[in-house]
Amino acid sequence: MKSGVNESLSLFTCFQMLHLTAGRVGSLLARRATAAFSTSSARMASHDVAETTDMSKPLYWDRVDIPLPDRPYKDTLTTGDQSLKKKEQGPWSQLSKEEKVALYRLMFSQTFPEIKQRSAEWKSVLGGIFILIGFTGLIVWWQKAYVYPPAPRTFDADWQAKQYKRMLDMRVNPIEGFAAKWDYEKGQWK
Amino acid sequence: MAHPSQLGFQDAASPLMEELLHFHDHALMIVILISTMVLYIIVAMVTAQLTDKLVLDSQEIEVIWTVLPAIILILIALPSLRILYLMDEINDPHLTIKALGHQWYWSYEYTDYQDLGFDSYMIPTQDLTPGQFRLLEADHRMVIPVESPIRVLISAEDVLHSWAVPSLGVKVDAVPGRLNQATFIVSRPGVFYGQCSEICGANHSFMPVVVEAVPLDHFENWSSLMIEDA
Repeated sequence: MKSGVNESLSLFTCFQMLHLTAGRVGSLLARRATAAFSTSSARMASHDVAETTDMSKPLYWDRVDIPLPDRPYKDTLTTGDQSLKKKEQGPWSQLSKEEKVALYRLMFSQTFPEIKQRSAEWKSVLGGIFILIGFTGLIVWWQKAYVYPPAPRTFDADWQAKQYKRMLDMRVNPIEGFAAKWDYEKGQWK
Repeated sequence: MAHPSQLGFQDAASPLMEELLHFHDHALMIVILISTMVLYIIVAMVTAQLTDKLVLDSQEIEVIWTVLPAIILILIALPSLRILYLMDEINDPHLTIKALGHQWYWSYEYTDYQDLGFDSYMIPTQDLTPGQFRLLEADHRMVIPVESPIRVLISAEDVLHSWAVPSLGVKVDAVPGRLNQATFIVSRPGVFYGQCSEICGANHSFMPVVVEAVPLDHFENWSSLMIEDA
């Protein structure tokens, strides 16, 4: 008898849990769907992920796209700097222009225009390119003067002229090419 | 033949070459468009003053730049395959000629009706008459009737050669012990030059191919004369 009551009780709690589970399953499926599209590695872990602690030292940088670095530029302050920092705590209208600039230089190494300033490197690069092209030209001239044999007689102006005449007579490339550019009626180039 | 400093193709002298020219225009246009777009994007990225720090990935653009190139490739492949199969169509040639590569000349045999065979050697530079083309002229040209389907059976007697005539859109390897077939129709009369296109020894650059397309009656006269001379 006792076992029977236990059975009916457990059955009843089962139904209850089933009712609750249905709702939970729904939200669980929804979370799984979003997790499937997410690329976060923490979500993909099927166990607890250890907490990550950033143990790196704070860096300083001058960058336009991440303008505020981890630490100020001047870490160690002289006594003069420290008193200036104390003055910074008060109303800024009491700071002179030089003091404001000094405070900026304590916090940052370069201003935005200084970061974006372009160098004169392009002059050396272009100059180097022209020098090398000139040197190559020198080598090419020297080859022509001292290395190559004389050109075949077919390169004489007279021979070339006869060749062109023969190409026109033969109607070489008459559609869009060579002979197409010659006006046969007028006897001249179009 | 090409004129000095010519960069592009020669004008087509056969329907197949015309198809190849149009396909080249199509493919090159696609290449130029893609290259221009890529160059523009590179310049835009390099000269951009602002940085978006939060862009990690994007599924939409990944899909686009995967599917779009696939489509472009299909648009290139379809005309290409069309021409490939066009080359192999049955065209019932009127004339069959055998072109045999030797070191270092071509020989042509017209054996359909009678036995006609001759060698075609390059005319050396010192033997040219003024106005002739250096390294392209041959003593005997392969003469064929214009506007007739021609079959050329290409082989070699010693080493590999290749029988090529760019304006007809023909380049076929000459392999010793093997017959390769090329078919073409020459659309207009004229003289069409090509050069051996497979390295074959010391004078590989000095064995040109010269095809002369003439009206049928001229061809008949020529073949009669050649047989008499032989």
